[in-house]
Amino acid sequence: MVNDGSSSGAGSANGSKEIGDEYNGNKSKLNRRRFIQAAGVGAAATGFAGCLGGGPGESSEGIPSEVTLGVLAPAPENNPIGAAIANSAELAAQQINNSDELLGAADNVTASIKNTEESPSTGRQRYRELTLDEGAHMTTGVFTSEVLLQLMDPIAQQKTVHMTTGAASPKASNQVNENYEKYKYHFRTGPVNGYHLGQNMVDFLEAKSSDLGWESVALLVENYEWTNPVQKAIDDHIGDLDVDVVMEERYASGTSNFGPVYDSVEESGADAAFVAMAHTGTPAIVQWAEDQRPFEFGGIHVLSQLPAYYGMTNGACRYTITQNTATPQSDLTDKTMPYVESYNEAYDAYPVYTGYITFDAIMQWATVATERGTVNADEVVTGLEESSYTGTAGSLDYYGPDHEYAHDIKYNFSADSRPDEGVNPVFQQWQETDGSGSQEVLHPSYVSTTDYTAPPWV
Amino acid sequence: MVNLSVISTIIVQAAMISALYALIAIGFTLIFGVGGVLNLAHGATITMGAFSAYYAGQFGLGVPGAVLASVTIPALFAGVLYLGMVKRLEDEPIMVMITTLVVSVVIEQAIVVFEGTTSRALPPLIQGQFSIAGSTFQNLLGAMFVVSWLLIGLLFLFVNYTKTGKGILAVSMSHKGASLVGIKSSRINLITWIIAGAFAGIAGLFLGSWLTADFAMGQAQLVLSFSIVVVGGIGSIRGSVIGAYLIGFLEIATTNLVSSSLQGLAPLVVLVVVLLVKPEGLFGREFTE
Repeated sequence: MVNDGSSSGAGSANGSKEIGDEYNGNKSKLNRRRFIQAAGVGAAATGFAGCLGGGPGESSEGIPSEVTLGVLAPAPENNPIGAAIANSAELAAQQINNSDELLGAADNVTASIKNTEESPSTGRQRYRELTLDEGAHMTTGVFTSEVLLQLMDPIAQQKTVHMTTGAASPKASNQVNENYEKYKYHFRTGPVNGYHLGQNMVDFLEAKSSDLGWESVALLVENYEWTNPVQKAIDDHIGDLDVDVVMEERYASGTSNFGPVYDSVEESGADAAFVAMAHTGTPAIVQWAEDQRPFEFGGIHVLSQLPAYYGMTNGACRYTITQNTATPQSDLTDKTMPYVESYNEAYDAYPVYTGYITFDAIMQWATVATERGTVNADEVVTGLEESSYTGTAGSLDYYGPDHEYAHDIKYNFSADSRPDEGVNPVFQQWQETDGSGSQEVLHPSYVSTTDYTAPPWV
Repeated sequence: MVNLSVISTIIVQAAMISALYALIAIGFTLIFGVGGVLNLAHGATITMGAFSAYYAGQFGLGVPGAVLASVTIPALFAGVLYLGMVKRLEDEPIMVMITTLVVSVVIEQAIVVFEGTTSRALPPLIQGQFSIAGSTFQNLLGAMFVVSWLLIGLLFLFVNYTKTGKGILAVSMSHKGASLVGIKSSRINLITWIIAGAFAGIAGLFLGSWLTADFAMGQAQLVLSFSIVVVGGIGSIRGSVIGAYLIGFLEIATTNLVSSSLQGLAPLVVLVVVLLVKPEGLFGREFTE
């Protein structure tokens, strides 16, 4: 089950436990005058936090007995991406509690989960609840770039480490680079940022186009914020390849009828549609399969990354390729399969990519905090910058403060060997085994489970 | 250059899409023509039709179950909506608009809560493709065209040649006159709402099968319905069918010949132009007092 966050909250990180408890309504004897005083002090403290240097970053020393992990997930009750964030945070908290080594000084580690509703204003409100009311010692999650970008200033104000595990906009890491002291508390544990997502598509095409038999592609990109850096990277690099780009279309957000778009792809004679799709992905994939369009289909299709997607589309995603952080079939590190099995045992489902990343983020934070002997945000920031942690998705290393993508997870493409540093996203193909779909891995070769199968109608 | 093949593709595609648009709009115009109220839950009823079919598929009821669910559940819902809310507010059209708008939002939010915002694929109704003049089309769209005209024909026969249908015509012409000859307008309104619900459900079934279903799919259909009935003349079934074909052809021609990113723009442009140039629509309002 997903915790709605109402039951947790250490509230002591910045010495405001009493205020936090009263504000939450946890104490029944709420004195109105004291509440107003407390609210006034809280508001003033929040307002001056940036210039007076307050907040948990500087007031927390050592490992407290109650550690709160603040988690921001989109609709964790019914959105598989949000559920994976929430469930993996719970799983990580449970494993830390069961561990003698990680945060050993803490009596209890709890994950407090809040729903961002994919709305920037709601995200800010929930973030404030986590950090001010519940005194979260770190925050993680956030799937939507629009939400993340609106959180950068509150994160800077609260001076609490935030590890993003879904949103890909490189604007966040640009901010860290341009104003390091202010924004240094932000890290992106995954996925690789938007520009690297696009570069990864091109790298994959370069490495595998001859195996796939794709000599020409039609580039189809949905018109949303997250695809801007993806498209820029593709435009920057795809010209270097031997593959012809015979059509390029940035189609309107909200497109549901792909007939005209696919007619154009057919006319272009492209071997494949090379796509960057998230919001519009299901109608696109269902219509491609039902119409049996005479071109293949691959790229980044966010919804195809969901392990349950085969059932959700009645198998329409069969034969399509998508980039992914990891799949239940990809044995990326010695931590990948144990995590997948624990998750499946606990929730009777397989995690979405945000789950791997969230689990990794919390475990890396806990490891760094344990090594440093403190949850102090400034100490942890330094620790994370120096850290090279093997997670479920690969080696978690971050770009330094001087890099244009400061504090983003390092991207390291490699076709045949495990990179020593950074992550190397996988490319999967939906294939059918015994009547059900599985996300078989095509790339990289060291975790590959299958060869590519072209749709029979092409 | 526009060649013959492109023109034939546009014509066939537009004929099939327009048939769906006619299904979408008829229920909306029927309720306005007979009851004199705007049902802003019409789009949500279409969504309900699509999700009824989706759930039927999830429960393993197959295509027959999906078809049955997509017709009966929206029809029952429309009937209950009329009896539970609209009937009490019939003399206050603004209140009906507000109420049905609220119901629409509630339905959409319920789908968000239970299913999230991700689109869902319905069980494939009809698979395979057919070719006309060198262009290939889905059998589903062909079936949509046939079913649409079949239902429009049946509605025409029902309205013109059955006692209840004549009652519908009478109420649409004059509530007072109908009452004077012993026709219970509330019963006729109830039947109208149920028929409109069933039409919306079938539209949702085809729309969902073709484009997939999501919580907000009805919003664009409500706007489309508005445009079609304004073009055809508010309250006119014949006008709605012609309006649907006009908008359908315009949209397909725009997306094929100009840019596929212009989807959804044609109905809005037509709506504005007709409101400015011929606000009563192509066929006026046939059933007004």
